[in-house]
Formats: sequence, C-alpha cells, structure tokens
Amino acid sequence: MALRWWWWWRRCGASSRRAPPLGSVPRPGPRAPPAPSAMCHFTQRSSALSFPKICNVFWRFHHTSTSHLCSCSKTVSDENYQDPFQLGRKDLKNLYEDIKKELLVSAAELKEMCDYYFDGKGKAFRPMIVVLMARACNIHHNNSKEVQASQRSVAIIAEMIHTASLVHDDVIDDANSRRGKRTLNQIWGERKAVLAGDFILSAASVALARIGNTTIVSVLTQVIEDLVRGEFLQLGSKENENERFAHYLEKTFKKTASLIANSCKAVSILGCPDPKVHEIAYQYGKNVGIAFQLIDDVLDFTSCADRLGKPTAADLKLGLATGPVLFACRQFPEMNAMIMRRFSRPGDVERAWKYVLQSDGVQQTTYLAQRYCHAATREIRKLRPSPEREALVHLTEMVLMRDK
Amino acid sequence: MWGALLRSGVRGTGGLRSMSSGGPPWSQVVSEAEKIVGYPTSFMSLRCLLSDELSNIAMQVRKLVGTKHPLLDTARGFVYDSRNNLQMRGLVILLISKAAGPSTAELSFQHNMVSGIYSSQRSLAEITELIHTAFLVHRGIVNVGELKSCDGPLKDMQFGNKMAVLSGDFLLANACTSLAQLQNTKVVELISSAIGDLVQGIYYENSKSSEENCLTDDIGISRWKEQVFLSHSALLAKSCQAAMELAKHSTEIQDMAFQYGKHMSMSHKLHSDLQPFVKESSSDTMAFSLNSAPAILHQEFLGREAWIKQIREAQGKGNIMDYKQLQEAIKAGKGVTSAIDLCRCHGNRALAALEHFPPSEARDALANIVCAVTRFP
Repeated sequence: MALRWWWWWRRCGASSRRAPPLGSVPRPGPRAPPAPSAMCHFTQRSSALSFPKICNVFWRFHHTSTSHLCSCSKTVSDENYQDPFQLGRKDLKNLYEDIKKELLVSAAELKEMCDYYFDGKGKAFRPMIVVLMARACNIHHNNSKEVQASQRSVAIIAEMIHTASLVHDDVIDDANSRRGKRTLNQIWGERKAVLAGDFILSAASVALARIGNTTIVSVLTQVIEDLVRGEFLQLGSKENENERFAHYLEKTFKKTASLIANSCKAVSILGCPDPKVHEIAYQYGKNVGIAFQLIDDVLDFTSCADRLGKPTAADLKLGLATGPVLFACRQFPEMNAMIMRRFSRPGDVERAWKYVLQSDGVQQTTYLAQRYCHAATREIRKLRPSPEREALVHLTEMVLMRDK
Repeated sequence: MWGALLRSGVRGTGGLRSMSSGGPPWSQVVSEAEKIVGYPTSFMSLRCLLSDELSNIAMQVRKLVGTKHPLLDTARGFVYDSRNNLQMRGLVILLISKAAGPSTAELSFQHNMVSGIYSSQRSLAEITELIHTAFLVHRGIVNVGELKSCDGPLKDMQFGNKMAVLSGDFLLANACTSLAQLQNTKVVELISSAIGDLVQGIYYENSKSSEENCLTDDIGISRWKEQVFLSHSALLAKSCQAAMELAKHSTEIQDMAFQYGKHMSMSHKLHSDLQPFVKESSSDTMAFSLNSAPAILHQEFLGREAWIKQIREAQGKGNIMDYKQLQEAIKAGKGVTSAIDLCRCHGNRALAALEHFPPSEARDALANIVCAVTRFP
C-alpha cells in the first residue's frame, strides 16, 4: 500500500506545493482533531490551499473511499470506549515480575543485568496489544472473556524478545542511554551486555517451548529471524531512490512490526481456530507496528525541535535515512549524496536536518502512518464487537498521537 | 582446543575398555567417524556463510584487517585453519544418533534415515555447531571502555563489535529457526536451556579479574566443575540428549546420551588444561591459565595463601610471570596427578554410559574419542 502511495506522490510532482495533501487527518469520534504543533510548523511554507481546507478535502476524499465498515465507526467507538491500558491492566499486572521469574540465573550480577529493563517503568505497549488482541479473538470465537495462560505467555515472550533485541541494538549503536537511564553496555561493558541479551533470548525460547505448541514456536521464532535480518537491512543501503523506500519499509517491518504482527497472530491461533482471524490479527499487528515505527522516525525530528530547540537527530547520526528524510530527498535532491555516504561528513547531519524541516517529509511520513493505522482499524473491525476491539482501534490513534 | 589433540599425536591399539593402552591417532578417529556418519562434518555450520547476510559481513570484516579486534582471529580461524576448526560437536551428535539406532517407538515413525541417522538429528548436529560458533563470535567482543591507545582507533573496535554482535545474532537466529522446524518443543526447550547455560558459563569465564590480578579464582574444584559444565559441556550433553528425543528413544537412553556428552567434554577440557604440564619439551614453556584444572587443584591442596605466595614469587619484581617456575611449582604438588585422575574418572563415566548402547561402529568411534581425550604421554 505504501509503495503505491509513494508512486502516486511522485507522479503528482514533489515540487508542486499543492498536490500532496498536507497535514493530519481528523479522526472519527467526538474528540476534536488536535493540530500537533509540530505539524503547523511546516505549513508555514506558502500554499494555495490553506491547511484546514486541505484537511477537509482530504478527509472527505478519504472517508468516502474507505470500506463500508468504517462508516459505523463513530458511534461504536464512543459507546465502548475505554482506556486500552485499563482494559489490559489486570492481565499485565504481574508481567514484569513474571518475566523476572523466567530469568533464572545464578550469577547475581548477570541476574541484575537481565532484570535491568524489566523494572515495570515501561509502558508495556507490545504486551498490551497482545493481551487485548487475545481477548478480542477469544470473544470473537466463543465469547470467552478470559485470557488463556498460553496467550499471556506470548505477551511475556514478546516483551522478552523485544528487550533482548534492544540490548544488542544498544551495543551495536554504542548507545549510552535508554528509557531515561544508562544502557547495559554503558554500565557493565559490551561483553556482558551482549551475554545478557543472549540470555534473555534463551529464556524467552524456553518459555516459548513450554507452551508446547509447535506452530506458536514457529510463528514467534520467525520474529527472532526478522529482527536480525532487519538489522542487516539497516547495514546495507540502496542506490536507487525507489528501492530505498521499499527497503526502508521492509526494514521497518522486520525490526518493529514483525514482533507485533506475529505475537498478535500467535494469540489468535491460541484463541480461535479460524485462519481468517489469524490473518486479521496479523494484519492489524503489522499495520500498527509499521505506523508505530513511522511515528517514531517522525518524533526523531519533531520532538526535539519542540522540546529542546535543537536536534538530537539520533537516526541521522547513525547514518540512517528514515521516512522524513526519504520524502525530503524528493524535494531536495542534494540530499542524495548525503544519504549515500550515510551523513558521515561533518555538517551532513545538520544540513539534512534543515532540509527535512523545510520539506514536508514529516507530514508525508505522518500521513503514511495514518494510512497504516486506518488499515489496522479496518482489519480489526472485522472481528466481533467488544470493548477490547475498540481499545485496539483506540490504540492506533494513540500511536499517531504520541509525542514521545 | 581440539587442535591441541591433533598436535599431541596419540597412537596405540583401540578397545572400549582400555584407556591407558591408547587407541588410534586422533586424526584417524575423526576420519573414521566421518565415514561412519556419511560425510565430512568440517564445515557444517558454515553453510550459512553462503547467505547474503554473512557474505555482507565477511566483506565488512575485511575492514578490520590491521586492527586488533578479536573477531578477525575468529574469522581467520574459520577460513584458513580447518585443523583447528574441527566441528567435533556435530560429529559426536551424529555418532551417538547412529549408535542409538532407529526409533523403537511408534512404527509410524516416518522420518528420513540416511546412513542410520535421521534428518532431524543431522539438523540438530548443525544447530549445535551454529550455536557453538555464534558464541565463539560473541566471545570476541571488546569492552570499549577498557581500550587503551595501543589497541588502535576506537571506531575500528566499535565496528568490530558491531560485526561480532550481528554475525553472532545471525547464527543464533538461524539456529532458532532450524530448531523450530524440528517441530519438537521438548528439543527446543532443551537446546534453549543449553544456550542459557552456555551464556552463564561464558559469563564466569569472563568475570575473572584474574587476568589483571594474575590470580586463580577463589574457588574449589567442585565449583570449577560446575562452571566448566556450563561453558564446555552443557551444550553437547543436552544436544546428545535432544538427539535421542528426536528419535523418541527412552528416557534412559536420553540420560545416557546426556551423560556421555557431559563426561566426554569434561575429560576433554581437563585434557586440554593438562597439556602444558604433561608435555616433555623443555625449551618452550606454554603459558597456561591460572584457572586451569591443575592450578585450581593445586590451590585446593596447598591452600590459597600458600598458592598466592608461589604466584607472587614467580612474578618476581618485574611483574612478568615466569610460567616455567609456576609450572614446576604445580608439578611438584598434587595438582597434575589429580587432574589426570579426574580426567580418567570422567572418561570412565563416559564409557560406562556408552555401555547402554548396542555394540556398533558408531559406538566404537565414540569410545575412541574418549580414549583420545584421556590419553597422556
């Protein structure tokens, strides 16, 4: 989908300021669509169509062309609305404690390292999706309101796999802080950090095996493979601009969306025998996951601009050309050379940063994220209505509205 | 490690029982074993070297030439030095699979059998080698914070670390995928727990500040054995057990396979640790680890304080270790002989486990391996 949109956007002519719809799409529901301050920042470039007008035009276009399922979205969403995190709270109450129980290590220091990120301070976004999906599928299948133990295990395993990959990513990127505290490699050195990551992964595998279901093992093992391949994709780069975008999306899928997609699929398999449901769960997870990463890439530009008044531009500094950069490059071909050399020359990061801010790269990426969220919503609405189903819809909106 | 066995060039007549009279030379043990299992196993795990990802890495690793990153040595070892790269674990797993024979469980056990080994067992052998290799690579990561200027530019080391993490992860991911394809969750659990054991074992290996302080760890031989089990035996022992599970052999056979793997690899580690102490050559004293079995045992017999005194005496004023002097000190004590005894003891237990398997060429080959690792000049 995103590739088709990419081509359409190119044909419209990146240099034309009118053609690409700018800004965010108002969401259904009583809450007024807030114009994120970061968005307004970029519409200062003059445009024949004003920002609100474009929004309207686009919204009408989009709203009528989406599938019939969306039309009933407004009222259902209001009635059954509950904070997703409230809904899943009971199941996730002891999530981190249970994870720590899986990490059976005799060496005290190694245990401390493995437990380090399971301090309960994270938002547990991924486990939340998994648990909500489990409930939505269970309800869809036989109105069961309970989460099975095996489904809860999947949530735990997903979080462990995710954390293990973060630990290794921090070593690879030589990062020194994460989630407001120092990274493992910063405190204990790279050698031990890599071992801790390996241990968490092995413990996740043991937990996975204990579920006793070979299909689930295959589904979640795919994630481990995708995570590594995603890292490799990040190493390489493509010469051709069009290939670059496809490459970026593939990397985004492998590094971020695969985990969410496959864990959703896993709990749906455990909860319901219908393969159509498995596909719905998978597609929801995949679309939400990609949207999540796209917004993450946007925040790398916007959150700093807002809060600190100067860029941190972590991705640029790592030599990575993410969504906003790739879009900006269409308007500023000078960026091509910088992308190819991975922003390695002095001044590259700053220049690229400026180009992105001058372009509508951020808007385009955000818009793309919205499209993915809508796709996720369309999928999940195919399930039987439930508070959990609506919570998953609401989650897609939360993904878009994150500011950190 | 295995290369040291080749260098020791053992000879003698074979036999399941006789350890002291020796067996065929190591190289012969290996080549006969390879015939028994059907093909040379030298590059089993490196088939995935043909993948795009790893050839990408290989190109990048070239940039490390001229730096001091350990990954370069590991990589060199794979490509140039097949002698030191004997994939023994895989071979042992294949042999024990063959020695256990076909499944006695359901008659409907339809899996493919080639040269008396199921394809799932072959896959498992490869998985074990993948895991072992992954950790060889992950061991070669440096702590950036401890680098000195003589280690070269920081960015080279960071780059080497990046390559090491990625390639190790790639091998592990491949292992996990292949494990999943075996469609047996018990095996997945066993091997995953073996990975956890291996991590802990390597952690203990690394933790030694002994290299800086030049001291033996303050542990006794039983703690040492626990740690060595984790770092050197667990993977092979559990893989042998898993191979039995794949063919649905009884829990008794599974346990015996485990015992063989465990004791044989313990013997092997002890044998390897003893090499500096049992060689005849007087010209070149090999440096040895202060945490090797003879040193640990010597410390236990002598008492820690007395041992530390001996170490300091051997270090002399210049803080340079006189390994010859230290070696003599250990040889003068009971460390070496008790290490040899321990080695033979584990060897016997490995052979005892083999008794539970029916006689066969494969079983003989496994016995010959034990003989080779328990033989001393």
